[in-house]
Amino acid sequence: MTAITEFSIAVQKRVGRQRLLKAFKVLLGSVPFIFLIILWELNTQFVWFDPIEIPPLSDVWGAIFFLQSDCPGFVAAMQQHNDCNLTNNIMSSLGRVILAGVVGIPLGIAFGILAGMNRTISGYLEPVGIFMNSVSGIAWIPLAIVWFGVGWETTLFIMLNTIFWLIFFNTMMGVRAVPKVLVQGVQTLGGSYYDTIKHVYLPGAMPSVITGMRMSLGFGWRALIAAEMIGGDSGLGFMIFVSAVEFKTEEVFLGVILISLIYLISDRYMLVPLEKWTIERWGLVWKPT
Amino acid sequence: MSGEAKLIIQDLCHHYPDEYTGESVHALEGINLQVYENEFVAIVGPSGCGKTTLLNIVAGLLPYREGRAMVDGNEIHGPGPDRGVVFQEHAILPWRSVARNIGHGLELQRVPKEETRRRVQEYIDLVGLSGFEDRYPHELSGGMKQRVAVARTLCADPVIMLMDEPFAAVDAQTRITLQDELNRIVMATAKTILFITHSVEEAAFLGDRCIVFSRRPGQIKTEIKIDIPREERVWKDMASNPKFTNARDEILRLVRQEVTSDDEH
Amino acid sequence: MTSIDLQQARLFKWKKFATEGAGRLIIFLVGSIILWWLISAFLIERPDRYLPSPLSVVLSSADMLYKGSLISFYSDTLIRLVIGGAVGIAIGIPVGLALGLNRFVADMFYPLMNFFQSVSGIAIFPVIVIWFGNSDTTVLIVILYTSFFPIAFNVLSGVRSVPVRYIQAARTLGASRFQVVRDVLLPGAMPSIAVGTRLSIGFAWRAVIAGEMLAGRPGLGNMIFSGQEFDNTAQILLGMVMIGVTWIVLDHFLLRPLESDTIERWGLVQR
Ligand SMILES: Nc1ncnc2c1ncn2[C@@H]1O[C@H](COP(=O)(O)OP(=O)(O)OP(=O)(O)O)[C@@H](O)[C@H]1O
Ligand SMILES: [Mg+2]
Repeated sequence: MTAITEFSIAVQKRVGRQRLLKAFKVLLGSVPFIFLIILWELNTQFVWFDPIEIPPLSDVWGAIFFLQSDCPGFVAAMQQHNDCNLTNNIMSSLGRVILAGVVGIPLGIAFGILAGMNRTISGYLEPVGIFMNSVSGIAWIPLAIVWFGVGWETTLFIMLNTIFWLIFFNTMMGVRAVPKVLVQGVQTLGGSYYDTIKHVYLPGAMPSVITGMRMSLGFGWRALIAAEMIGGDSGLGFMIFVSAVEFKTEEVFLGVILISLIYLISDRYMLVPLEKWTIERWGLVWKPT
Repeated sequence: MSGEAKLIIQDLCHHYPDEYTGESVHALEGINLQVYENEFVAIVGPSGCGKTTLLNIVAGLLPYREGRAMVDGNEIHGPGPDRGVVFQEHAILPWRSVARNIGHGLELQRVPKEETRRRVQEYIDLVGLSGFEDRYPHELSGGMKQRVAVARTLCADPVIMLMDEPFAAVDAQTRITLQDELNRIVMATAKTILFITHSVEEAAFLGDRCIVFSRRPGQIKTEIKIDIPREERVWKDMASNPKFTNARDEILRLVRQEVTSDDEH
Repeated sequence: MTSIDLQQARLFKWKKFATEGAGRLIIFLVGSIILWWLISAFLIERPDRYLPSPLSVVLSSADMLYKGSLISFYSDTLIRLVIGGAVGIAIGIPVGLALGLNRFVADMFYPLMNFFQSVSGIAIFPVIVIWFGNSDTTVLIVILYTSFFPIAFNVLSGVRSVPVRYIQAARTLGASRFQVVRDVLLPGAMPSIAVGTRLSIGFAWRAVIAGEMLAGRPGLGNMIFSGQEFDNTAQILLGMVMIGVTWIVLDHFLLRPLESDTIERWGLVQR
C-alpha cells in the first residue's frame, strides 16, 4: 500500500466514508455551475454577447440593491413600503402562494375525501377535475382577467384554481386506495362515520395529499408567475415581465434566479421532508403516476 | 475423467476489497480445481462460503487478482460467450419472446438468421418448449422460464456452462422434473458444466464429481466421485441406488460438519 | 308478474346508464351545459361580457370557422406542439441515457439539470424574448425547454431501474457495451420513456398556450388572449373548451394507451 492510499484510508476512517462520498458528489455537482459562472464572467470580459442579452454577473447582483435603493430599511420592507421594489414583489408572490394554499388545500382535501368516499359524487366531480386540470391553469388567465380585472384577484384565482383541483384529485385517489377492511375494522369497533374519516380516510390519504401539495407548488408556482406576467400588477412574474419590456436584462436574470431558488428551497426543505415524514408515518397507499 | 481440462483454476484467492476502510472480506482461499471435457462438477457448501464468488470469477463478472483461472487455455478477462451462465433468478429479458431470448447469444455474435432459426428451434425442442416460441416470459411459469434460460445458454454453444443454484427458485415438484431433464440435456449435448447448489441431493444426483466447500474463507474441503452412468440417473430409480445414497449421505455429513463448526464460532 | 320484472329490469338499466361510463359522461356534459346556460341566462348581469351562453360560443365558433381563422389557429398550435415536443424529446432521450449509463456524468450534471428544471419555461420567457424577440423561435424554445426535462429525468431513472442481472446475462452471452445498451438498457427503460413522453407532451401543451399568449403568435393561446383584449368572452370560452378537449383526447386516445401498452409489452412486471 502506498503512502497515499494509507493516508486516504486514515482520512476516511476519521471522517466516515458516506460523508466523504457525499462531499465528493456535491463537489462534482458544483463543477458545471462554476464552469457556467466562469463562462459568464469571460463573456463580460470579452463581450461575445451584448450586455443587453447577457448582463454581467455584477450587474445582476447590483440589481438587488438598485431595486431596493430607495427602501428606508428592513422594517419598512416588511411593512411593504412603496419604494422597496424587490421585497414587495417577492412578498406579493409568496403571500398569494400562502393565501391560495390556506384556502385551497383544506377545500381540496374536504371535497377530495367526500368524492373519494362516495362513488356517485366522484362520478360527477371526476370529469370536472379532469377537465379543469386539462384546461391548465394558464388557459384560465384571459377569462380571469375578464372576471376580476388585472390585479391580485386574477393571479390569486389562477393559483387557487390550480391548487384546488390537484389537491382534490390526489386526495380522492388517496381515499379510494384505502383498503375497505381498514374502514370496516373501525366500524366493527363501533366507530362512527366521522371516526372513519378521522382515523382511516384522512391518514390513509395523507401521503397522496402531500404529494398533491408538491405537485400544487410545482404547477401553481409556474401558473402564478405566468398569471403575474399576463394579468398581474405585482409579484416576481410581473417584475421580470416589465423589466424585459424595458430591456433591463439584469433585473430579469435576477428575477428568474429568485423564482427558481424560492421554488427549489421550498420544495426541497419544506415539502420533501414533509412527504418523507408522512410516508414513513403512514405508509404510501397511492402514488400518482 | 478423460479428455483435457476445460476449466483450470490455480491457487485462486479472493478478497472483497474495501479500499476505503482497509478491511476486507476473505471469500476464497487457495482454490485448485479442474473441470474436464464433458464433465459435470457440482459444488456444495454452507451459505456464504464463496460459491457464487467463484462462479462470478469464472464468468468474468468479478475481476480477480490472486491466482489464475483459465478456460480452454485462455486466461479469463471479463465475460464472454465461451462461458454461459444460468442464474438463479430469471435473467431472461421480459421484452423478448421465448425464441428471441434463446437466439439472443447467436444474434449478438451475428450468426446468419437462417442458421439462428434452425438452432433455436433445435434447443426449443430439446428443453421441451415447442409451441411456446412466441410467448413472452410473463406468460410462462417459473420452471419454463428456467428452461428458457438453460436453452439460451446452450444455444450460444459455450465451452463450459456455469449454473448458480438454477433450480432454487422453483417448487420442489418442478425441481425434480428439471433435474431429470437437465440430465437428459447433458447426455444429448455433451456439455461441460460447473453447477452450484445448496441441495446435497441435487449435487449427488447430477454431479460426476461433487466438490464440498468449507465455510468462509471458502476452500475445497473434499471431493467425492459419484460413479453412476448418466443413463441410470433418473429420480425414480435413485432411492434404491446405493451409490447415490452413499454419496448423498457422505456429502451431507461433510456439509453438516461445516455448518455446525460454523455455529461453534 | 312478467311485466313488472321487465319494468324493474328497465329501471335498473337506467340507473346503470346514469351512474356508469359513457352514459354518466353524457348526462354530466348535458347537465353542465344546461347549468352553464341557466347561470348565463338568469344569474349574471351582462352575460355576454362575463359568461356568454353556450349558444353564443357555438355561434362564435361558427363565425370563426367561416372566416377560416379557427382552423388556422388550431393547426398553428398543434404544429408548434408537435415540433417543440418532438425536438425536446429527441434531445431528452440521449441526455437521459448518457446520465443513466455513467454515474460520474450523472453526479456531475444532475444538480445543474435539477436547477434548470426548476427554472420553469414560463419564467425564462422574458429572457428568451430579449434574445429572440416576439417570434415563433421564442415560443418553440420555451416548448422545447419545458418538454426536455421530464423525459430526460424519466429516461435516467428508467435506465437505472433495469436489473443488473439482465446486463450481466447479456454480457455472458458475449454482448458488447453497445449491444447491452441496444438490447437491454433501452428496452428496459421503455416504460419510463413512455411515461416521460406523456409528461413532456403535457408540459409542452401548457407551454404552447402560455408562449402564444405572451409572444402574441397566432394560435389557441393567442386566440383566448385577444378574446380578452377585444372583449369577446365567447371567443375565450371557445378557446378554453378547445384546449381542454384537445388535451383530453390527446391524452386519452394517444398518450395513455401508448404508456400502458409499452408498460405491458416491455414491462419488467413479472407476473
Ligand atoms: N460484493 C461483495 N462485497 C463484499 N462482500 C461480499 C460481496 N459479495 C459477497 N460478499 C461476501 O463474500 C462471502 C461469500 O459470498 P458468496 O455470495 O460467494 O457466498 P455463497 O457461497 O454464494 O453463498 P450462498 O450459498 O448464500 O449463495 C459472503 O460472506 C459475502 O458476505
Ligand atoms: Mg450464492
